[in-house]
Amino acid sequence: MPRIACLLVPDLPVAAACRADPELAGRPLVLVDGSGPHAHVIAASRGALARGVQPGRHTVAQARALAADLVVRTRDAAAERSAAHALAEVAASLASRIETAADGAVYLDATGVTHLVASEAALATALVARAARVDLAARVGIGASMTVARLAAEHGDGTEVVSAGVERGFLARLPLACLAPAPDIAATLQRWGIHRLGDLARLPVAEVATRLGPAGAALIRAARGEDERPLAPEPLPAAVEEAVALEYALDSLEPLLFVLRGLVERAVARLGLAGIGCARVALALGLDDRGREARALPLAAPTRDVKAILGCLRAELEAHPPRAAIVHVALTAVPEAVRAMQMGLFVPPGPAPERLATTLARLSALCGPDRVGAPAVVDSHRPGAARTAPFALPPAEQPDRPPADSVCRLVVRALRPPRPVEVFTERGEPVFVRGEGLGGRVVGAAGPWRVVAEWWSEDGVARDYYDLELTDGGVYRCYREHGGPPPPAERGARSGSPAEREARSGSLDRWYLDGVYD
Amino acid sequence: MSAAAALLDRLGRPGDVRLGTAQGEPIRQLPTGLAALDRALGGGLPRGRVTELAGRRSTGRTGVACAIVARATQAGETIAWIDVDDALEPETVAAAGVVLARLLWVRPRGVPDALRAAEMLLGAGGFGLVALDVGDAGSPGPAPAWPRLARAAERSGTALLVIEPQRRAGTFAALGLEVTGRRARWSGGPGRLVVLDGIDARMLIARNRVGRPGQSLVLRQACA
Repeated sequence: MPRIACLLVPDLPVAAACRADPELAGRPLVLVDGSGPHAHVIAASRGALARGVQPGRHTVAQARALAADLVVRTRDAAAERSAAHALAEVAASLASRIETAADGAVYLDATGVTHLVASEAALATALVARAARVDLAARVGIGASMTVARLAAEHGDGTEVVSAGVERGFLARLPLACLAPAPDIAATLQRWGIHRLGDLARLPVAEVATRLGPAGAALIRAARGEDERPLAPEPLPAAVEEAVALEYALDSLEPLLFVLRGLVERAVARLGLAGIGCARVALALGLDDRGREARALPLAAPTRDVKAILGCLRAELEAHPPRAAIVHVALTAVPEAVRAMQMGLFVPPGPAPERLATTLARLSALCGPDRVGAPAVVDSHRPGAARTAPFALPPAEQPDRPPADSVCRLVVRALRPPRPVEVFTERGEPVFVRGEGLGGRVVGAAGPWRVVAEWWSEDGVARDYYDLELTDGGVYRCYREHGGPPPPAERGARSGSPAEREARSGSLDRWYLDGVYD
Repeated sequence: MSAAAALLDRLGRPGDVRLGTAQGEPIRQLPTGLAALDRALGGGLPRGRVTELAGRRSTGRTGVACAIVARATQAGETIAWIDVDDALEPETVAAAGVVLARLLWVRPRGVPDALRAAEMLLGAGGFGLVALDVGDAGSPGPAPAWPRLARAAERSGTALLVIEPQRRAGTFAALGLEVTGRRARWSGGPGRLVVLDGIDARMLIARNRVGRPGQSLVLRQACA
């Protein structure tokens, strides 16, 4: 006997609006399709309904006449889509076969779910609790079919479990309006004295079908708790998207970050349902000039740290501000499993993978993603070449033998970019060096060593390297460049005309300092 | 005397607690891999404490720090290197014996960001050593940064090594090492190829709250 659970958020459009803007919760809210006083109300919160507003019947003007404190918002399809997906993810966190209905209700196959949770009642409670984590107040019904589960969710106590064999008894007491029959069929059934589902279920299907058509037969099968079709499971999109249409165009960063915080928090809560992290964030901005802008932000490591993700977004938006005010924001979080690793018994414990991922994401937000990682040797003959690789701890391995005592090696501190210096030469040998932050007579020199690399490209180098010890106490790695354009750091940094500089240096070649022995 | 009374005499009676006799937890140490320095420090750098490694340009302080990092990464420790000057050369660091896969290289855009990065890394826990290389930038930030860093290091049990031109942490550093007296070694001469062989320097343990200060040793560094 199959068991089906229905996860339902009553009036999803209103719930989605309150989820996108929590300040709306508890207020008399109506959602309208269009603008102006003649726009029709399509959904109303409980507070608005209590004041007599009727969705589908009243216009904004009529609703305002009924409730002066009414809050009117335009229906936000993007926010509704995000809420519906969030609800589906809640279901997917506890079941592998789920189906989403057009109105946002989610059906999940609860057969054998007691292997995962203690009971069906515990499943219902867990679903409600997880829905609350993504800011949705959900109701759950569990029964033998989708129809029973849906009616149990709508008319039960919030976590209603209809046990096998008692479905007919549960449905019998429900009013006929539960199945929302067409008005003409409802009127006919009313004339026949059918008021409850129990009355309807007792009627013969074939007889009713000849009088009311297929719709009447379908009503009877529903009243008996039978489905027209089985559950049709569907896969969920891999990425998590949260979107919101803004009421007013935002033209400064702080309010936009406030909106983004809500989106990130909700996206992270959804990722948390599956215990995974966010590896990449994509931001789609709808602009006031009807344009669109898209950003993609890779994170240093999968994380669910809201502060870290927001920091990356802030850095990106500060570095590349949108060209116009923002009216629509959609944030897509691409999920990836947070790295797990096996610790070794006999090696030092490294950072916990999730904390390391969070720290890397925060460091990326602080310094920039390309400035955090493991140093990697570049396959190049260009001295000082460096790059960072994504930092992932290698598996813990016990060293074959205890590490030997280190030999103290002299290393080079690179100067990036190389700093232009003036070098005075005698018979081609450097004798005096002057530059920013250094200067002195040469007391020790070695070189030159010619380095020619990547001559086939525009960035090729042809340099003569020298090691120079100066009277200022430093031992430097300098080079003289032959031809080619000056590096960006030099442009505008040197004073005087080219002729003056040539006279000072005594050579047409340019000299640079690119490292200090230390 | 009953057996119970004998046991009480032996183990101490309830309430018979002598204040001030508790032994502090011994400070764990991170071997530097430099035999002379380890001998002078009694094992290595203190974990959970701030160590300052001060020296002027070309005294070999970065080489000493790389040697410590090399020993630690070879032992399986995870190390973070905060590089304010963006001065690390992966090639020479690898030649010094550092396992690059175990080294997290962070390049902040100034000393304030470097301090925040150091706090984040210390807060993450699990790192054997966090090296904060402020390079030639002078003071590694305002004075209030030191107690924060010292507390964060103590909480995480991570050794914090600050590489700087001059010692600044004062009482917040458990260990202060100064590298002075540099002399470059050149080989070759007239008619022969001249090559920089290395640098000789003297290291002074100027401050040591976990051992005996005032010792000095000779550092002989060879070109990689």
